[in-house]
Amino acid sequence: MQVQSLFPAQGSVALEELKGQVSGGNVNRPFDAGVVEACIELSQRLLRDRDARRYPELLALGFWMRKTELHRLQQQFDQLQREDRWLVPCGTVLHLPPRNVDTMFVYSWLLSALTGNCNVIRLSPQRSESTDMLLRFLSETLEQASPSAKQATWIVSYGHEEEPTQVLSSICDMRVIWGGDHTVSTIRRILLPPHARETVFADRFSLAAIDAASYLELDQSRRSALAKQFFDDSFWFDQMACSSPRLVIWCGSQTHAAAASADFFPRVNDYAVLHQAVQPAQCMHRFLSSSLAILDRPVTNYRRFPALSVLTLSTLDKFDRSHPGGGVFFECQVERLEEIAPVLRRRDQTLTWFGFPGEELRKLATSLNGRALDRIVPIGQALQFGRFWDGNDLLQSFCRQVFIGGIEPLLPS
Amino acid sequence: MTVEDLLRQPPYSLPQADKERILLAELTSLHHHHRRHCAEYARVTEKLFSRNTDALTLAELPYLPVGLFKERLLSSVPKDKVFKVLQSSGTTGQTPSRITLDHETALLQTQALACIMTHVLGPERLPMLLIESPDVIRDRTQFSARGAGLLGMMNFGRQHCYALDQELHLRLPEVRDFLARFGKGKFLIFGFTYLVWSAFLEPIRSLGLDLSNGILIHSGGWKKLQEQAVTAEEFRAAFRQTTGLTGIYNFYGMVEQVGSIFLEGDDGNFYAPTFADVIIRDPQTFEELPPGQTGVVEVLSLLPRSYPGQALLTEDLGVVHAIDPPGGGRLGKSFSILGRIPRAELRGCSDVIAAQVN
Repeated sequence: MQVQSLFPAQGSVALEELKGQVSGGNVNRPFDAGVVEACIELSQRLLRDRDARRYPELLALGFWMRKTELHRLQQQFDQLQREDRWLVPCGTVLHLPPRNVDTMFVYSWLLSALTGNCNVIRLSPQRSESTDMLLRFLSETLEQASPSAKQATWIVSYGHEEEPTQVLSSICDMRVIWGGDHTVSTIRRILLPPHARETVFADRFSLAAIDAASYLELDQSRRSALAKQFFDDSFWFDQMACSSPRLVIWCGSQTHAAAASADFFPRVNDYAVLHQAVQPAQCMHRFLSSSLAILDRPVTNYRRFPALSVLTLSTLDKFDRSHPGGGVFFECQVERLEEIAPVLRRRDQTLTWFGFPGEELRKLATSLNGRALDRIVPIGQALQFGRFWDGNDLLQSFCRQVFIGGIEPLLPS
Repeated sequence: MTVEDLLRQPPYSLPQADKERILLAELTSLHHHHRRHCAEYARVTEKLFSRNTDALTLAELPYLPVGLFKERLLSSVPKDKVFKVLQSSGTTGQTPSRITLDHETALLQTQALACIMTHVLGPERLPMLLIESPDVIRDRTQFSARGAGLLGMMNFGRQHCYALDQELHLRLPEVRDFLARFGKGKFLIFGFTYLVWSAFLEPIRSLGLDLSNGILIHSGGWKKLQEQAVTAEEFRAAFRQTTGLTGIYNFYGMVEQVGSIFLEGDDGNFYAPTFADVIIRDPQTFEELPPGQTGVVEVLSLLPRSYPGQALLTEDLGVVHAIDPPGGGRLGKSFSILGRIPRAELRGCSDVIAAQVN
């Protein structure tokens, strides 16, 4: 069987041949100088390029992997190393990134490559403009990179066939699946070598909480700034990214909550209308999904704006986490933040917040005791990728931990 | 004036202002009727449109997204009054719409279609050539919209002749025989646009058949033909040049408002009959747009009594050209349909590759 090779070669490649190439790929030392250099180069290309500037998600990626950040990541990695427990690369990592969060494959590749692994990335044949742009930047960067970096990455593309995933899985030491529950369960049925491990990122749900009184204390420009950050969290990936908020919790009295909501969503809409083309099909999609939500859920109020719709719920009891995306927001009022703890579930990933003291957020995380929420971050950082994701430390996830017993502790030099 | 009164009048006989006055009163009472008899309709319209007073214009009347009929069976009649449930044919992979009909609404649909068809066909039943295979209506328990549409139209014909076989190939001997018997007088041809083009016109193009006394009524949309780059003008021209057929009428309609069709005038535009109308809305604000501006099409009809489908926001784009245009012999709004709203693809984390492992 043939698949499409996107890097290093371009064009059709026999699966067996690809398998041979990948098996002979480089496994580097963590933070190999050549790999770090290539990552810095990619970051600079993203930040310099005029076309890339049209995509905020590409800029965010470039910024996240800039030189100082990579050095910080390296320091963090060094701190994780202990003399009796050494982190080493897993070996060969197969990445199955989501089709529609364009930048995800680079985040996944980056952490894996930095920790020394050899990588195979599968991309969908249907790629967005920004994915193709990113692919071009990455290929050009690796083309000119040191052999250590260049010979540790393969990027391929194929459709819904099972065979390529099967063959590539058979030679990998780790498989990473970014995607919906359906994808995860489908791919999980494809065998891995017995020693290999798997990290999956399943469907998640995310929400925002705003302290209504704190919001109302903000001046006009700060309110608009918060609305902009909320827009970034929600609209970069059409509200379909796992960490984008779909439910807004207003904390405080009913009066405050109503006043804050009435001020906030029009600002989000105004920003959205100015900064993103409102697609007619999405307006129709929202109108239909709002109608269905009104039939199925305890909706007490509906507000329609050109770029989004807001459905007020009377209760979060039995809250259904299925969600149409594309700018549909549920909202609910509670007196205090801790009241949401009983309704939160394993599926709930990111809580973006505004106006709460750190102590209250920590209290929430403690009381949940791992039952829900993997990230609690300020509004504006929902999509900010980091080494901690879905309850994993990705710096360590891409490594094996070698235990070295019975040795003398190193003397401080 | 009630819908029954309107159906007794010629279909394009009311100036828009008079028509709107009648429609507003009738649609308002239909709205209250469905609110009383369909709990889902009452709940959805109450939340979607928060006004408490009656509408002052047609554009202010509550409407449903047409897609709701794919998701829910909405009915304003008790179960024992349901006469049949219409189902849209739906392209593969799509959920079909389901429409609940009682005898009253089914009768209104038939009368409405008659009212409109009489306008172009005259009062007599005509010999009828169907660009269909008899199979499409064989099983009357499984009602597809295509079958229902066909049955509805068959009422306007006699000596029905099916031009296609089971595999949708042309039955040329039967067609030649039909034309030999009836081709000298007025006769009716009916079919779905795509079939009329690909399964009928294509194979007879070079045969020199004379269809000049025929009247062709067709519907079903241009999507498939647009893929082959066939425009409405080419469609007409091809028939005129190869068969002499000039009486060609396309119509715009949907299973959610059967009977309430918008028939093409001689100018190639669609016209709204007295008991139905269209409103073009801005896709973002849903505000009504003036003639000349393209937007989303809302269709209004007085026929739906057994299900709350009297005001529906479609997923089609259209433009109103004129109101009570002079000279065409038809009053009311004239408009064009410009196709489906282009689909939006949502981005997001879910759905990576999902290979089918079986």
